[in-house]
Amino acid sequence: MENSSQPTVLIVDDEDMVITSIRAFLQLETDYKVTGVTEPLHAVKYLETNPVDVVISDYLMPKMTGLQVLAKAKELQPEAARVLLTGHADKQSAIQAINEVGLFQYLEKPWDNAQLLLVIQSAIERTRLLRTLREKIAELDAAHSNLKDVQARLLRAFL
Amino acid sequence: MTESETAQLRAELDAANRKLAEAHKMASLGRLSAGIVHEINTPIGSIFSNNEVIMRSLEKIKELLANAQAQGSPPPPKAMEMLDVIAGLASIDKLACERISSVIRSLKTFARVSEHDLRKIDVNDLIRHTIKLSSAVFRRRITFVTELEELPEVECFPALLGQVLLNLVVNAAQAIADEGTVTVRTRSEPPYVCIDIQDTGSGIPPEHRSSIFKAGFTTKPIGEGAGIGLALSRDIIVDTHHGAIDFDSEPGRGTTFHVRIPIQHTRT
Repeated sequence: MENSSQPTVLIVDDEDMVITSIRAFLQLETDYKVTGVTEPLHAVKYLETNPVDVVISDYLMPKMTGLQVLAKAKELQPEAARVLLTGHADKQSAIQAINEVGLFQYLEKPWDNAQLLLVIQSAIERTRLLRTLREKIAELDAAHSNLKDVQARLLRAFL
Repeated sequence: MTESETAQLRAELDAANRKLAEAHKMASLGRLSAGIVHEINTPIGSIFSNNEVIMRSLEKIKELLANAQAQGSPPPPKAMEMLDVIAGLASIDKLACERISSVIRSLKTFARVSEHDLRKIDVNDLIRHTIKLSSAVFRRRITFVTELEELPEVECFPALLGQVLLNLVVNAAQAIADEGTVTVRTRSEPPYVCIDIQDTGSGIPPEHRSSIFKAGFTTKPIGEGAGIGLALSRDIIVDTHHGAIDFDSEPGRGTTFHVRIPIQHTRT
């Protein structure tokens, strides 16, 4: 994804009201592209084809837990930052999430908009830095193999 | 032992049983509390967020309108769009408040302390509150179905009967390992009303069937049940209300508990 493109946020919550509230807030305060999905399985499908910067997921949902959604997100888009937003005051799930899915942040409902925005902003920055880093490494790899090629040709010319 | 001593012992036993019932009810509500907290925190989160967005939007609209007025132009389309967003958020807030208040209403039905008066009530209402609370906890994996026929008002101890219903519905949901359905049916069979609570769970193994109404018998892990619920339910239905409680169960297909309560309470 181009770093200059519009930042994208995916919200997964089986409660439509949460998606509507967060979307309204982000649309007022930012120029992010916000996609909301109430079905965890649809979220996984969405992630298969649409690059995102941040995935924010609820924990308790039918069919799949938020941890399973974020684990799939990690597999499909490892650089995308993963945030768990849960109303389930369960520290065990937080610890599990941090260990298993490499969580960027754990937030509890009722959430604070200012804190949520800070988390999303730093998550986007981190994702974009990781993507830039990956591009630079790929460029370095390419330059390295070019150099090796030149070196091989030089050796052939002189020996 | 004299008659008065026996009467006093019986009264003490009754009081102890009521205390046990109260303690058990509070423990059951405590176990449901994590789910209830989740059910309430979600709409509260939305209301907080919406309130902030509405306040900020109103400021922006005011600014846009003031600028337009200064330039003698009509209200800008952006301001109108923001008003639509505000209207949408306000209707979500109403839904969210209704959600919270309906959970609280159901919770109040069960949390009333020491309400041991005999009263005439609509048992279907009690079932609706029971399902409301249970679905707050289990709805992500359990589908709750109610088939409630019109019933005559039943003279009973509502707090105690509510406790039995909550017990049976929570047990039914816990008997289902993954996803499934809990169905509650009511019908009138004068002089009784009948309540069936059916689950699509694992069923009760034949070797456990003779023990399930005994105090202290449980198959649940520590912290989830002390083996009091069904023994207490049996006492409340049979001894206190002069009704009946039994069950059918088929391993792998589920269990149905049948409860019968007299419409008119017989005083002893």
